[in-house]
Amino acid sequence: MERDLLRQSVSYHGENLLLLLKCEQSENPDFKCVAADLSKTLSQRDVEEVSPVLEQFIARKADLLFAPSWKTSVPADEWQEETGEAYAIMPPLEQFMEVCFEERRELFYRDVERGDVVIGRINSVRDFGLFVTLLCTAGGLERDIEDLEIKALCPLRDVPSTGIHDDPLSYYQIGDLIQAGVKDIDRYHEKLTLSLFSSSLPPHLDKVKLGVISKEDLPLHYTRGEKVAADSSETYEKLLERSLGLSNPLNVDYLLGKLGISDTQTPSLMRGLQSKHFKEDDFATAIRKKQSVSWALKCVKVGVERFKSGRHVEAMNEYNKALEIDTNNVEALVARGALYATKGSLMKAIEDFELALENCPTHRNAKKYLCQTLVERGGQLEEEEKLVTAEGLYKRAIVLDNTFQEAAEALEKLQIHIQKSLKLKEQEAAKEQENTKTVETSAEKLRKILKEEKRMKKKRKRSTSSSTSSDTSSTSSDDSSSTSRKKSKKRKRKRRRSSHGSKKHKRRVSSCSDKTAEDDKEWFPAPANTFASYIDQKQSISKLISEGEQSWEKSRCEDGRGRLDDAIERSLENLKHGAQSEASRLGRPDVNGEVRDRHRTQSTSECARNRRDSSSSTQSEYSQKSDRYSKEFSAQGRKHSESERGGNEKMDRGERSSRDQNDGRKSGGSQKKEIPSNLLDIFSRIAEFEKEKKLKK
Amino acid sequence: MRSVPMATACVLYHRFFQSASLLVYEPYLVAMSAIYLAGKVEEQHLRTRDIINVCHRYFHPESEPMELDGKFWELRDSIVQCELLILRQLNFQVSFEHPHKYVLHYLLSVRSLLNRHAWSRTPIAETALAVLKDSYHGSVCVRHKPQHLALTSLYLALQTYGVQLPRGELEWWQVVCADITKAQIETIMSELLQLYDMEAKCT
Repeated sequence: MERDLLRQSVSYHGENLLLLLKCEQSENPDFKCVAADLSKTLSQRDVEEVSPVLEQFIARKADLLFAPSWKTSVPADEWQEETGEAYAIMPPLEQFMEVCFEERRELFYRDVERGDVVIGRINSVRDFGLFVTLLCTAGGLERDIEDLEIKALCPLRDVPSTGIHDDPLSYYQIGDLIQAGVKDIDRYHEKLTLSLFSSSLPPHLDKVKLGVISKEDLPLHYTRGEKVAADSSETYEKLLERSLGLSNPLNVDYLLGKLGISDTQTPSLMRGLQSKHFKEDDFATAIRKKQSVSWALKCVKVGVERFKSGRHVEAMNEYNKALEIDTNNVEALVARGALYATKGSLMKAIEDFELALENCPTHRNAKKYLCQTLVERGGQLEEEEKLVTAEGLYKRAIVLDNTFQEAAEALEKLQIHIQKSLKLKEQEAAKEQENTKTVETSAEKLRKILKEEKRMKKKRKRSTSSSTSSDTSSTSSDDSSSTSRKKSKKRKRKRRRSSHGSKKHKRRVSSCSDKTAEDDKEWFPAPANTFASYIDQKQSISKLISEGEQSWEKSRCEDGRGRLDDAIERSLENLKHGAQSEASRLGRPDVNGEVRDRHRTQSTSECARNRRDSSSSTQSEYSQKSDRYSKEFSAQGRKHSESERGGNEKMDRGERSSRDQNDGRKSGGSQKKEIPSNLLDIFSRIAEFEKEKKLKK
Repeated sequence: MRSVPMATACVLYHRFFQSASLLVYEPYLVAMSAIYLAGKVEEQHLRTRDIINVCHRYFHPESEPMELDGKFWELRDSIVQCELLILRQLNFQVSFEHPHKYVLHYLLSVRSLLNRHAWSRTPIAETALAVLKDSYHGSVCVRHKPQHLALTSLYLALQTYGVQLPRGELEWWQVVCADITKAQIETIMSELLQLYDMEAKCT
């Protein structure tokens, strides 16, 4: 118990209180230590009335009233400018009470402290400083001191120089209102020293502006006080009622905040209401949570029954209801995940399971289902040739549940598959490298074009990733995934390109007509049906294109601009090679024109299916004709056609997900668009060169 | 629940039973409805589910929360109907002047009279507010003006700690509330203290 408080109280009330306290609080151990002191401090009571009831009350509640923890209020640290009246600001009570002069003076000197803010009027300017007559206090302390005629000195060294005038004092004139901080107090001699530097103020009053102020800046309580002084019929009550701040509905909260008392934990003297007796469990929110959980569980049970009886839609409804009631209900999430998995939307199922596991990491069912779903999803991806992702999923499944056999098996299979495809890739790459030939005129021209393109690229300052590492040999593990990804991308691009109907026409025309100028200007997205047209007709070229495509896709996959050149070079070399080899060339000169026609006809048809169908038919054509070609080509072609076909079939399934993946690669998206047009230009040029060659021959 | 809505709820309750008989109407139901209605009036809306849960918990401590079944919905319906009943009983006058804002303003004024150290030492504000809050246990709140109540609680707090305020021509409480007399203060004070007696008897 606070000793001082008790002492004060006892001395105020007298002996009776002490006796009563002893009576009531005899069990209280704290009291015993203090009791001894108290008996010494008794003095004469100057209060007239005896209030036994009050004393009884005090005695009974003393353990609460005088407990050190009773004082909960934390005084507001910052003095804020009272803009707008959050509550009614009243003039100092002293004024109303008409406390006498001496007492007020006494009180003022008792209470003023270093760091208080006062406002006064300059009444003389001397060499050594300013003399100020204080008008009122500001910044928290509210006293009526105007007529007390308290004078204060603001010495020269405490007047900041304004910079403009040499003599800081010349800035100030008699009659100015200034706001200053109290620097020093001599209570005995009743002398005050002021300062105009803000360093004299405590940190929480930092924002107070010191120096000359105007009448508007005078604190509200002072101006109101003035009015009261002028009009004697003004009472506190009337003033209060009239002030706007009283009707502010939030003034209670504001004032409670100002006084530092929390509204939710308001003190009470009733024993039953002491805050510490209320348990957290009894609070409404806690009970509600428990209730929600049990309600949600009920819903889940109903849902599971529905699920078992086959009514999936209703089961889903029940689960959703349960999750609305209780958003992180583990059971509901697991059940919903299972429902998704059985329906086939595996990604959603995985999400749900993961969420459930987040909330409750040891949920057995969740783990089990999650593993199963992951393996299934991995299987899907494998078929789509997204081998790396599949691998990742299997590994996760294994991590989750070490004993899960299927996952381990699937992982092994997958790894073998990956290795195989890797080997094949390496073979191809080696073959491609063999095919590099010495420079020829056509090649030179093509190279020039490439360089121009490079320049264009640099102009646009695309993000160059660090993967400008060299070449085919480095495409190791990326290849396997990229092959599958590429196929899907090709399909994607085809479908997307269909939407650029009218643009293509222009591009076609311009590309055919003005070949050189194009490089500089146009980087349009090429129509997807370019490929279809090629595939339909020119197997070799289409193969070469596809190879070039792949290399481009490779470059795209790796998000590197630098690779574009390599890719284009490679594709050109392939094309050259194709041009040189005596494989069946079916009217290559016509390629250009046919491309145009084909393009125009096909640009109108936007149906993705048509293209796919055509591509699939061409692929069958493809496979038939694949025998004719040289071994290298056929090997490559077959592989590609197979994978393409497979990729095509799987496209339906993986469409959505792969699209999502592709959408994520938008950084290469624009690049994608640019490549095919370049490709197109290049092909048309190649066609021309070959024409020349034929002519030469 | 904040102080002011709680005060409203208590006033509603007391006023209701001033004019209605305690025997006819189930007091706990009226209490729940009063809380609900006060929440609406004072813009601190409470859900009926929460109110029911807490009351149920109060009567059956440490039990599971109520199942959301027929009984629950019935209880909820009866709360809503009781609310309408209260409104009719009180002639739809449900907004009241509470002593809280008065007591807070008075506190600020008194604070400026005191030495700041004395103020920070003495928990006057807490005691005054505690007394005010506890006064709602009884019907004191409806029998006196809010300003008087505020004044009395502050007076009580100051007296408990033996704080002495400067005196002028007028006492501070005379200034604050012109029409009050010492006798009145005394009566209200005794009523407040009686409440504590009542509490002592119950426990």
